[in-house]
Amino acid sequence: MTMEPGRHTRTAAIALAVVLAAAGCAKSEETTAAPAASDTQGRQVVQTPTGDAGPTCTLAKFGGTKFDLKAATVGFSQSEKEANPFRIAETRSIKDEAAKLGIQKLRVTNAQSQFSKQITDVQQLIAQGAQLLVIAPLNSDGWEPVLQQASAKKIPIITVDRKINATSCGDYLTFIGSNFYEQGRRAADQMIKALDGKGKVAILLGAPGNNVTTERTNGFKEQVRKQAPGIEISFEQTGEFAREKGQQVTEQLIQSNPDINGIYAENDEMALGAVTALKGAGKEAGDIKIVSVDGTRSAVQGIVDGWLYSVIESNPRFGPLAFETAQKFLDGQAIPDKVIISDREYAGDTAKAGLDEAY
Amino acid sequence: MMTDSEVLPAHDAPAARTAAAARREHVGRLLQHHGALIVLAVLVVVGSVAFDFFATPENAASVVVSSSFLAIIALGMTFVIISGGIDLSVGSLFVLGGVLAAYGSQAGVVVALLLPLAVCGTFGLVQGLIIARTGMAPFIVTLAGLLGVRGLMLALSNEGATTYLVKNPAFAALGQGELFGLTYPVYIAAALALLCMLLLQRTGFGQNVFAIGGNEHAATLMGVPVVRTKVLVYLMSGLLAGLAGALNAARLSSGVTILGIGLELDVIAAVVIGGTLLTGGAGSVTGTVSGVLLLGVIQSLINQIGDLTSSFQQVVSGGFLALVVIAQRLLSKAQRLN
Repeated sequence: MTMEPGRHTRTAAIALAVVLAAAGCAKSEETTAAPAASDTQGRQVVQTPTGDAGPTCTLAKFGGTKFDLKAATVGFSQSEKEANPFRIAETRSIKDEAAKLGIQKLRVTNAQSQFSKQITDVQQLIAQGAQLLVIAPLNSDGWEPVLQQASAKKIPIITVDRKINATSCGDYLTFIGSNFYEQGRRAADQMIKALDGKGKVAILLGAPGNNVTTERTNGFKEQVRKQAPGIEISFEQTGEFAREKGQQVTEQLIQSNPDINGIYAENDEMALGAVTALKGAGKEAGDIKIVSVDGTRSAVQGIVDGWLYSVIESNPRFGPLAFETAQKFLDGQAIPDKVIISDREYAGDTAKAGLDEAY
Repeated sequence: MMTDSEVLPAHDAPAARTAAAARREHVGRLLQHHGALIVLAVLVVVGSVAFDFFATPENAASVVVSSSFLAIIALGMTFVIISGGIDLSVGSLFVLGGVLAAYGSQAGVVVALLLPLAVCGTFGLVQGLIIARTGMAPFIVTLAGLLGVRGLMLALSNEGATTYLVKNPAFAALGQGELFGLTYPVYIAAALALLCMLLLQRTGFGQNVFAIGGNEHAATLMGVPVVRTKVLVYLMSGLLAGLAGALNAARLSSGVTILGIGLELDVIAAVVIGGTLLTGGAGSVTGTVSGVLLLGVIQSLINQIGDLTSSFQQVVSGGFLALVVIAQRLLSKAQRLN
């Protein structure tokens, strides 16, 4: 175990070089991926004005005690591997905002898409004395053990991007996220426009067991049924929000339904997988209209290149809004039971200008 | 590593050499049987000193409770691996067991427990029969099980979109009820571990499992009931995976459909880290329990470090697995030389 001093320095030098090289790589990649994001750029905007409609929650009603956010231990539990831009932007936004606000003790865990691990992660955040929990839930059900522990200790939980099926202002504090049903409807509107109201459409469904998939599907289907009876949804299968899976499902799709006109992908990763599959099958850009949800940079670039028709945004920059909501709550103000953000959409000409806003 | 350094000073006298070899073998055995326990103890001590929130009752409880489900499955896997087989279907049986238990809980506690046990047990039994009677590779048979069982679960749950909730308080209590700060599944896992230990060490069935894994041909010649023993270990593995799934559904109050992906690999890792030879013929229940707890403690330690990304957990677990396999290889070589 003991090393000579000389070897120590050499090891340190090599390590430093590796770190520098890695930092260099990361930096160059960052500049091409997301150029000079200023503080407010792409920031989430609340759609439902705070305290406007629906039940509200106050510190007194929740039964907690006021604490100083800066000095508090704050736990953030990320659900999926940071292999897709949505998750990367989400975690970074939470970390950046915590740093900006001077929150010293932010603890971040990542469940690597394993639900059992996420439950244990959050329980261990509680065991580490977390006073506020921000959770990006992998699944909407199955939170019983966490909710019991948290409510016994009166720890406020803010869930971001996906919901937990439980009582707000009790089991958890509030939910911040998009109106996924509306995203589905807007995607349907774009698809109807792209196909002139008639044709065959396939849906690449998200991962099962969470409200995002259900609502993006229902919103899309209902809008199509109402607005464009000429459009037939002839294929739907889960691509689990993953690029490879989206590609694989699309490959099967063009084998089994060669006459398909449009693909609705419930996130950008699956849409990009679909593009790869279409390219592999010898299709040209624009042959099959693709509409997806998220607003990642690669997908918006896909619109510019002609492969995607439109992308409905789902803004992952939860940091500012999450901590703002927490601070309001701690200050004794009433906060809504759900904070719905407004999302942009990218199509045609707006895509190129929107590239800077995309993540 | 310790064994290597002890052999280095070369003595000329053969007596000294055999003494050294014996000592080396002794240390080797000790490491193989209790290596995971030793590393576990070291990590717990280091963690307690280094982190304020590691040795707290709450954190310890979270490690033990979350490990209990993995432990129940790993008990069955220990028998399977000692018998020279492998069971890749346990992750899928775990999630199927949970969905069936949540579904069955509408009809009461008894159904909630019996339905997953019956279905998962049947799957284990069928896999065991195919493996034992046709001599097909356990890897392939249980890989088919992994895919087929997950497909069945998806069919039952509308492609995973329907989550059955546990509304029966008596069944939920089975997973959530507490005794001395630990939930019931911990005690169930502990009782099962004790039972499996006795079964493996003190019964003819246990001896047969070792015999088959050591040398199947010799075991057959010795009159060991090979087919029956093999069928029983896969049946056991299926039952335990189903039970773990049911208890987990009770704990989560719902039949979550996204569980258990890749779980079989965690279970196999825990068993192998616990000193059970992947080639069969050697292993212990205590080792498996240590292996499971070791994986849980690694997760907890990585979470304590906080800013370190969770990917490191897999790196560390993978590193341990590699070390154990290398150590086992060296030990078995040493034993063959002797």
